Amino acid sequence: RVFQVRWSRYNPYYLEPEADKEKYRIPESELSEEDREQRKLKALRPIKAAAPDLTSSVFNDPQISKFVNMMMQDGNKVLARSVITQTLESIKRKQVERYHKAPDAQKEEIECNPYTIFHKALENCKPVIGMVSVQKGGKYYQVKLCGSFNKACSIFNPPFFVQVPTPLTENRQRFLAMKWLITECRDNKHRRTHMYEKLSQELLAAFANEGNVVKRKHDLHKMAEANRAFAHYRWW
Amino acid sequence: MALHRLNCRLPFRCTLRQTRPFHGSGCGHPLRAANQAAAPIESVRDVFRTSEGDPACHSEQHLGRFYTLQPAELRSLFPHGLPPRYQQQIKTFNEACLMVREPALDLIGCLKRADYTQPSLRYLLYGPKGSGKTLSLCHALHYCSSQGWLIVHIPDAHQWVKNCRELLSSSFNPSRLDQPIQAAQWLRNFRVTNEPFLSQIKTTERYVWSKRESTDAQRPLGELVEQGVLRVKSSSDVVGAVLKELRVQSKAGAFRMAVAVDGVNALWGRTTLRRTNKSPVAAEELTLVHNLRKMVKNDWHGGAIITTVTQTGSLYTPSSAYLPQELLGKEGFDALDPFIPVPVSVYSEKEFESCYQYYSNRRWIQHPHGRAEEGKRELDFLCGKNPSLMEKLCGFL
Repeated sequence: RVFQVRWSRYNPYYLEPEADKEKYRIPESELSEEDREQRKLKALRPIKAAAPDLTSSVFNDPQISKFVNMMMQDGNKVLARSVITQTLESIKRKQVERYHKAPDAQKEEIECNPYTIFHKALENCKPVIGMVSVQKGGKYYQVKLCGSFNKACSIFNPPFFVQVPTPLTENRQRFLAMKWLITECRDNKHRRTHMYEKLSQELLAAFANEGNVVKRKHDLHKMAEANRAFAHYRWW
Repeated sequence: MALHRLNCRLPFRCTLRQTRPFHGSGCGHPLRAANQAAAPIESVRDVFRTSEGDPACHSEQHLGRFYTLQPAELRSLFPHGLPPRYQQQIKTFNEACLMVREPALDLIGCLKRADYTQPSLRYLLYGPKGSGKTLSLCHALHYCSSQGWLIVHIPDAHQWVKNCRELLSSSFNPSRLDQPIQAAQWLRNFRVTNEPFLSQIKTTERYVWSKRESTDAQRPLGELVEQGVLRVKSSSDVVGAVLKELRVQSKAGAFRMAVAVDGVNALWGRTTLRRTNKSPVAAEELTLVHNLRKMVKNDWHGGAIITTVTQTGSLYTPSSAYLPQELLGKEGFDALDPFIPVPVSVYSEKEFESCYQYYSNRRWIQHPHGRAEEGKRELDFLCGKNPSLMEKLCGFL
């Protein structure tokens, strides 16, 4: 029987596991002070259980793992991972085919590495600035003035929301880019194409700064530019 | 020994920086060393390639190296014979390269030395899943075709015992079932492969297909094949007639015939097909299978029968089974006995190295770590030198 330990609340005393073999190969002399402290701690303190997708493989890529987790439905990581590997393979196949058919002069410009294409496409899809809804106005009630005037004045402002441009953190940008890619491929493509095919087309388009996801990012930027005046509504 | 090592190292001096010395520590093969010095035409950097395109001239010195198949030969020889992932690879790399491996070389050696007045020999390629049986078969077929033999190639016998939409009751023998679509498709591919023979070979007797259609004696085989392709309803019987003609006439010695069946264990296994009344169909009740069994029997001479037993695509067999006895069953083994078993194993060190260098050269291994020593060791560990696993892994690396 396997007990799920990873997602329970660990005592902060526990350290995170480090799977990268290169980090352990650096000799004592080349480490900085904090790293030397960390190494001493690792010998003394207990370490958390490793997550299921943590590998010491040289081919491990944290961004790809994140993308796989976001694509996963109903906990079917095997399916999500296989879709991603098929996507990478199909991107590579298209690019290598173009490479071999191109004349020598153009061969250098064709990027065949699916990982660089994925990272660059994700970069091109990340929005720089986002929008947040802020509530403005609120209910004001009738105020009766006493005395000689005997006139009631009332101010009634119903609550409304304005979209305020805000800076986005690194994590939020990456999340939005991946989310848009996945929803775009799931909703706006032809029903009969496979997911890996749709993803590879979208990633290659994003790599060249075309395609629907990059368009969505540009629309968000334009809206933020248009609502520039409301920026001072933000108090944080 | 030291002198041989020096001979081996000399051509590779400029490549020691980039690649490991291709011949490892046990490199004292005198023949190979002499031939290295004698064949400077081969580009020194592409150690994994050989310029020898004729399978008849392949020998031990070409072991582990890739030779290129010409596109024209490819289209005529293999309209349907190559595995789908290999076809994708040909399309991507813009060339068709096959590795020269030991099982194929053994087969070709036997084919060269066999006596064709004796009953035809049966060769059986077997091995674990993904070890290269189909491609070894294709290499042997390339040799046969280059020697001008007639090729009867059934790319996957498993396709004939499953997933058949239309099953017609045979007009020739009411207890049997016809498969018109599969038979017509096979006849079309047969026509593409054996164009020159279709006009040379003549039929020996008259075949009546229906009240109005018949093929007379002494007509070219091409007409018979046309009949099968056009009139799809009688195509299974046409296949039977064609096979019978070829068997009878190869004895006469006008041509040599190579019968290649991939997945011969399908002929003696179970099928997933059912009749319209939902009763299951046994393998011998299919016309195509019945005729093919007669073809694989060694009662004719003037050719060779090269077969593969494979678990991939087979029905009701455990996935760990790869030996002939397990996959053929008692009936199949007795029918195929005696045969020459040819074991096909996973890549050796040298072949793995060669394959890795070929993929690197063709820009297939793109991951920066994949090009380094560390990544190569990890790849070796992950795929266990299995050719198909390695291909799948390198796909996304």
